[in-house]
Amino acid sequence: MKKIIALLLACVMVLGLFAGCGSSQEPEETQAQSGNQETAGAQGDDSGDAPEEDTIVVMAPPVTGNYLASLKVWAEDFKKEYPHLTVEVIETSWGDHSDKLSTMAQAGEAPDIAEISSGALGTYVEMGVAIDISQYMSAERLADYDANALSYMSLEGTVYGLPLYLTIQSIGANKTLMEELGIDVAKIQQEGWTYEEFLDVIKLGTTDERFGFVFANAGVTASDMLNIFGAGCGLSNNFTEDLKYTFTSDNMLTLLSAIEEMTQSGYMPNYGVEAGQRMVMCQTGNAMIFGKAMPLFENNFRTNNAALDANDGTAVENSLKMDYAFLPVPTMMGCEESCYGTVDGLIAMRNKNTTDEHLENVLLFMDYICSGERIASCMNELYLDPVCQSGRDALTLEEGRDPDNLETAARCIAMVEAPPAGVTAEMTATAKKLMDEQIVPKFQLLLAGEATAQEVYDHICEAAYAAFGEENCVSGKIG
Amino acid sequence: MATTGLYSQHLNNRKVLYLRNAVIALVLILFAAATLFPIVYMILSAFGPNVSTAGNMRTIFPSRWTLESFQAFFDFSPHSLRWIWNSFVVAAGTVVGNVLFASMAGYAFAKIRFKGSSTLFGVILVAMMIPYQVTQVPLYILMVQKFSMTNTYAAMILPSLCTAYNIFLCKQFFAGLPTPLIESAKIEGCNQFQIFVKIVLPLGKTVLAVMAINTFMSSWNNFFWPFLVTNDPAMYTIQVGLKQFKFANETLFAPMMAGATISALPMFIMFFSLQKYFMEGVTIGAVKG
Amino acid sequence: MNETKVRQLKNGRKLRFTNEDLWGYIFIAAAMIIFCVFTLYPVFNAIYTSFLEYKPFGSEFVGLQNYVDTLKYSKFNLFYKAALNTLVYTAVVVPLSLLISFTVAVMILPFSKKTQSVFKAVYYLPGVASGVALSVVWLWLYDSSPDGLFNQLLGFFGIPAQNWLSSTKTAMLSLMIMALLSSHGTQIITYIAALLGIDNSYFEAAELDGATFFQKVRFIVWPLVKPTTLFLMVTGVIGSFQVFMNAYMMTGGGPDNATTMIGLLIYNNAFEYGKYGLACAQAILLTIVIAIMSLFQFRLMGVDVEY
Repeated sequence: MKKIIALLLACVMVLGLFAGCGSSQEPEETQAQSGNQETAGAQGDDSGDAPEEDTIVVMAPPVTGNYLASLKVWAEDFKKEYPHLTVEVIETSWGDHSDKLSTMAQAGEAPDIAEISSGALGTYVEMGVAIDISQYMSAERLADYDANALSYMSLEGTVYGLPLYLTIQSIGANKTLMEELGIDVAKIQQEGWTYEEFLDVIKLGTTDERFGFVFANAGVTASDMLNIFGAGCGLSNNFTEDLKYTFTSDNMLTLLSAIEEMTQSGYMPNYGVEAGQRMVMCQTGNAMIFGKAMPLFENNFRTNNAALDANDGTAVENSLKMDYAFLPVPTMMGCEESCYGTVDGLIAMRNKNTTDEHLENVLLFMDYICSGERIASCMNELYLDPVCQSGRDALTLEEGRDPDNLETAARCIAMVEAPPAGVTAEMTATAKKLMDEQIVPKFQLLLAGEATAQEVYDHICEAAYAAFGEENCVSGKIG
Repeated sequence: MATTGLYSQHLNNRKVLYLRNAVIALVLILFAAATLFPIVYMILSAFGPNVSTAGNMRTIFPSRWTLESFQAFFDFSPHSLRWIWNSFVVAAGTVVGNVLFASMAGYAFAKIRFKGSSTLFGVILVAMMIPYQVTQVPLYILMVQKFSMTNTYAAMILPSLCTAYNIFLCKQFFAGLPTPLIESAKIEGCNQFQIFVKIVLPLGKTVLAVMAINTFMSSWNNFFWPFLVTNDPAMYTIQVGLKQFKFANETLFAPMMAGATISALPMFIMFFSLQKYFMEGVTIGAVKG
Repeated sequence: MNETKVRQLKNGRKLRFTNEDLWGYIFIAAAMIIFCVFTLYPVFNAIYTSFLEYKPFGSEFVGLQNYVDTLKYSKFNLFYKAALNTLVYTAVVVPLSLLISFTVAVMILPFSKKTQSVFKAVYYLPGVASGVALSVVWLWLYDSSPDGLFNQLLGFFGIPAQNWLSSTKTAMLSLMIMALLSSHGTQIITYIAALLGIDNSYFEAAELDGATFFQKVRFIVWPLVKPTTLFLMVTGVIGSFQVFMNAYMMTGGGPDNATTMIGLLIYNNAFEYGKYGLACAQAILLTIVIAIMSLFQFRLMGVDVEY
């Protein structure tokens, strides 16, 4: 028996090798031929009197679970409207999208439209592959998009892309438990809270079995904690209106001291927590408030509650039934309440095929998928509000969403402060490098209890002065 | 069989023999347990319930045994099986290329004295030392712009058709073959090609098998290059496909583990079918005599 | 290049190439063509790019500026820190993993064929699992909470829980342990292949002289597998100097850049910050360092004088 199996396996292997060998060489030739045909075809069709045929390449990761599938449907719908335009979709995976895009852009082979997060815009502008889109679409269409969200896709007043959505990141909580403990969740959601109030609440929520607060801060996610709590401390942006670097302000020291206090309080873990665990810790009753959190998580809690009711084994292990509350971030130093937000959007990119007519076609499609019912359906999936008027008009909310969370999310989105106009690509690039290479690493030390807030602050100031010059950095308090 | 002579066979005392083997086995087993743990965990979670995020997988055994994660893996994309086939074609093509070309080049560098051989070999070694992060952009331009090879097996196979690593490996092994053996074959009128086929290849079976399996494995596990040169889901390899299970805020953890388990299967098959060659070893003495 | 030489030989016969040369070129022809197109061309391209401020449309020649920027010492220049981290990582991981692989390969030998094949398969297995899946498992093993698996293990011996990947004291160590426990499959089977090539007559002779086991290992096995050791060491050092994936997936270089490796730095410059020319310059510098280290290893091992 064993011999027969071994023999079979060997046969399969040998066959596979030959098949592999054959088919591996085959496509080489056929591809070369079809490549020629393609170019020949494209040239041949030019002679018609109708608008020129054009192919638009769009590359995106699954920004929502259904996004890539929807994108293909939209491409077909678009083709019906504009028969001369064909859309080609390149699907990428979430974690590796930017690597592929970066490589393609460096090679001069960037797609016509690509998804990026606003933080990466500066890199592509510096690289010289981003395109000023305002020349290729009507001012009227551009006005459909919120100025706030558009400014994330702009640098020095030039618009490079259209926003898909503005994600707000804050903290979330086991609402059921908080209410049991007599905490007025609705009041926090409606009016916000101060850091001192927050500290009292997480103290109240802490038992031997449970942390009042947990934040996923291991590895690179440490930056989330700085950004999210920074928003409540006047540090929503890297630069002030007069373009001075903000992380050297007194606010930063206050923020760092507060986080030092939190990590050493015993109300939150004093070790690194992986991103995948924060929500699970909340769902299993091991933490009351968790971060980072998005409004979208309401969906996870609802699904889990349904799974617990059905008892079909798909619920999170050892989890409890609970409602989810999306909470605003606490404020410090008497700063105005705010919320950390980032914009993900689509940008137009330069490649070998780029001509003015082509760009007009590209923008036509980009605008098509960023607006109207297309974007509304995505936002429903993400539990976010569209950032364009046509999207808001097309939005019909799904049934059963928690009205308090909806209201809080809307309130938080309105509070997000867009980056000031006039920030250059070079400044964002320098700020990004400073954040990645100096600030986050030292902040990780603070989280591990291996450096004090003052030490970290001093290092940040020194590094920022070296990068921007002391005169271009804020000293004293902001806001 | 070769090398058994390393361990004393003359131990008359069976107890000592057993004790020795038992101690060795214990050490090996402990090390094996540490080595195996991650993969065992991967396989076990594949048989667990279809959960996203890994955060709650704190127990080694799944809460209940089910095949639903495998179901979810195959339902995820209409191309799931095609991904495995693509990986197989790419890996097999790479293995064939390396076994043929790297063994020839390795033999030449080891045993044929030709002008410029040491310089050429040095160049090959140095080229291996350049990190791939910086060579993949020119390589991408070459494959995509110049050769228009996007979405082809050729694009995935050609860059690793004959790697510096394997040339180096073959050279090191073939250098150990007894030169007098080759010289005497030459005197008997064999040309280099005959020597290579009749003497070197049979003696080099072991290293060829090692090379085949290592090449197959690295090609099978290669992610970034196939990801770069494929835009069509039907042409993805399994590693590229597996990455599709990760989203912004969740990872389809169990289906991913199911996919990883399925994708490890051909490696098991490959390993066991080539195992024979590691077992036999090469008895140069026998050939000599 | 080699092809033309061969052709000249056929046509003219005036070149001084011997028969042996001709065979050599024929044998390496295919490999060299593939090598030149798919390896050498990109390498030269990268070298050229290292002198540019690279932009996909319109690069600027900047001479040695990228090299100067890389080497210019400042408290905030990560290059030296990354170089030191990489060096420490290599100095620990490469020799230890060679030692482990060699020991395991030798220890497998006294068993029956069946047992041997089981062990070989077991040690080889981690290599076959996809890196993505494995890194998820390792993150879970290194969970810093008291429930984390390694922390439970430590707790069993009465050692307090560690903040594995999040503390500067343990982050590098954690990456080293991971490397030592998950990447030896290739090395072990390469060593076994080499061990199986040793002729039994050596041992018989040694046995007659009354050599002990350790003497046999020291004076017969070790010298005879030297070419393999050299191969594994050189490729190990190359791989280790370029190591990138583990740091990228597990720590992202943190905390306090304690696990930032040169490979990660090059990657970040090329793809995160769009400074491709600078990345190329750093890669070339890294290559020079590896080349010197390799030359040193070839000398140290004292073999391969023949080529």
